[in-house]
Amino acid sequence: MTNIQRKNHDKYMLIATLPLIFCGTVLYGARVLLLCAIAIATAKVVDVVVSMVRHEAFDSTDHSSELSAVVFCLMLPVNVPIYVIVVSVLMAVLVGKHFFGGKDVYPFNLAALAMCCAAVNWSDKVFVAVTPFSKVDLWSGYTTGATVTTAGIVKAGGVPTHTTMDLLLGNHPGSMGSDFVLVIIATALFLLITKKITWHIPVSFLATCTAIALAFPRIYGFPRLESLQLELLNGVVLFTALFMLNEPTTTPHTPKAKIIYGITVGVLGMAFRYVGGFELGSCFALLLVNTLDGVIERFADGTLFEKKAQKPKATKTEKQSQPKEENLKKTYKAQPKGTMDIISEAEDNIDEVLYSTRTISLDEIRRAEAEHNARQKGDK
Amino acid sequence: MKNKNYSLIYSNWDETVRRRKVFLSNPVFIKGLALAPLVVAATSVKNGLLLCIAVLFLLTPTRFVTSLITRRMSMPLKTFFYPFVSAIVFAFVYYFMYKYLGTQVLMLGVYLPILIVDPLVVKNFEKTRKEEALYSIINGLRNTAGFAVACLIVSAVREFLAFGTVAGFKILGVGILPMAQYSFGGFLIVGILCAVWAQMVKNYKHKVEVEALHNERFADNDN
Repeated sequence: MTNIQRKNHDKYMLIATLPLIFCGTVLYGARVLLLCAIAIATAKVVDVVVSMVRHEAFDSTDHSSELSAVVFCLMLPVNVPIYVIVVSVLMAVLVGKHFFGGKDVYPFNLAALAMCCAAVNWSDKVFVAVTPFSKVDLWSGYTTGATVTTAGIVKAGGVPTHTTMDLLLGNHPGSMGSDFVLVIIATALFLLITKKITWHIPVSFLATCTAIALAFPRIYGFPRLESLQLELLNGVVLFTALFMLNEPTTTPHTPKAKIIYGITVGVLGMAFRYVGGFELGSCFALLLVNTLDGVIERFADGTLFEKKAQKPKATKTEKQSQPKEENLKKTYKAQPKGTMDIISEAEDNIDEVLYSTRTISLDEIRRAEAEHNARQKGDK
Repeated sequence: MKNKNYSLIYSNWDETVRRRKVFLSNPVFIKGLALAPLVVAATSVKNGLLLCIAVLFLLTPTRFVTSLITRRMSMPLKTFFYPFVSAIVFAFVYYFMYKYLGTQVLMLGVYLPILIVDPLVVKNFEKTRKEEALYSIINGLRNTAGFAVACLIVSAVREFLAFGTVAGFKILGVGILPMAQYSFGGFLIVGILCAVWAQMVKNYKHKVEVEALHNERFADNDN
């Protein structure tokens, strides 16, 4: 994916989050907007400060930090304290992005990293759900509607009582923006039709999750299809498939590798969900698979187990035909570059030179000038 | 510091680096020694102090005894002998620490006895040059000072981030980053502190270089 496509991708994905933010605002109030704004502001401030510290020009076209901040924010409950968002986004953008080289080279999905950071640090505040249309204080986040998440009920072996329509509309206690299944599906279709994302990763990921959920239902004595419905329509499975697995920087580029990537995240994500300590398995699985990105790409290309090609041994006739080192020395004798040559070369390419890594003292230049003049005299 | 001192430091830079174990060649932040106890066990200033006490009574005596005995020893034998000596010294250290500090020592778990084979204590066996007994004490104390500074900084930062307190005194009351109490948080914080420390050393070296060259030019102009 080229840089221009990458820029547009981030913009389109940010636009794609707007319907989810709108739905969240309708169900949970203006605090959704406030938290998203704080997350974006934190990401932007970190980017600006890092560019200032590095003495680099700030790249205003890079929106990867903002996108990750919004995606992370939408996975949280609306009553989460503000400092949780600030510290998690700061950790993700500073440590996950800038410590690893910055734009286009960071290895880990930033939203997943922020979510894992929040989950490890404040699991009691992150894995809480808020009942829709309950009153939430704008600044403190205090609410009387806090309850257990649907994913938490399933993990504990219980059976949620929400109807299918509630699950599709996101009208059940959950996070700010990752439970609106119908809106996510509509957004996914829009992004697929406009070719901003490809089908490979989301489809392979969801197919794997479906297969595992059907083969090993978690809810004992419950119909398999209903168990599957609960597995896929709660938590952040669909949201992860659309917004987190399609980040171009941390995902493979070839279709075959993308399918393997999706399957691997699916298997590990479900494994983390089934036996892990947290309800949110996909984020931890995604971080783990991010480290295998290169291996997956080489496996898909078929170059993973290839041995390095050894040089064939030269036969006797070939050895005889090869010129000896002494002959080579006679035919070509490399002339060492003088200081004047370096200076004249630099003067010729002065427009292309960005940084000079060598400083030349005045005495050295004079000496080089003398050498140059002497050499010219010798030529004449 | 007077400007003349910079010229002196610049002319004996390698020796200065070797001597200044606290800042220029800190055993933890610059050389990367004794990371395991710091990353895992140094979660509070109290734990950090216990580690410092253990290192204080373990490192210098081990180094002193080995410098006396291993002068004519071959390298393979030295490799076994260093941990052997440090283990014997540790037995005494642990006994006295347990006697005077009580069960607090148990808070450090395996990361206290692991100091026996830590490179901070036994790295010296690699050296082929014989070490004088007096120098072994001086170098041991310098290394201990360097470790103590690093250990106290790391443990204070971790305690502050994890619990909002420093040495038990309430500063914020709430932990800004509770993961600082875990090993992976420790890795992250030690890594960041190492980077900051290395940059400080780089800045200091640059300053010394600039001041020394300035002094040199100034002296030339005077002449």
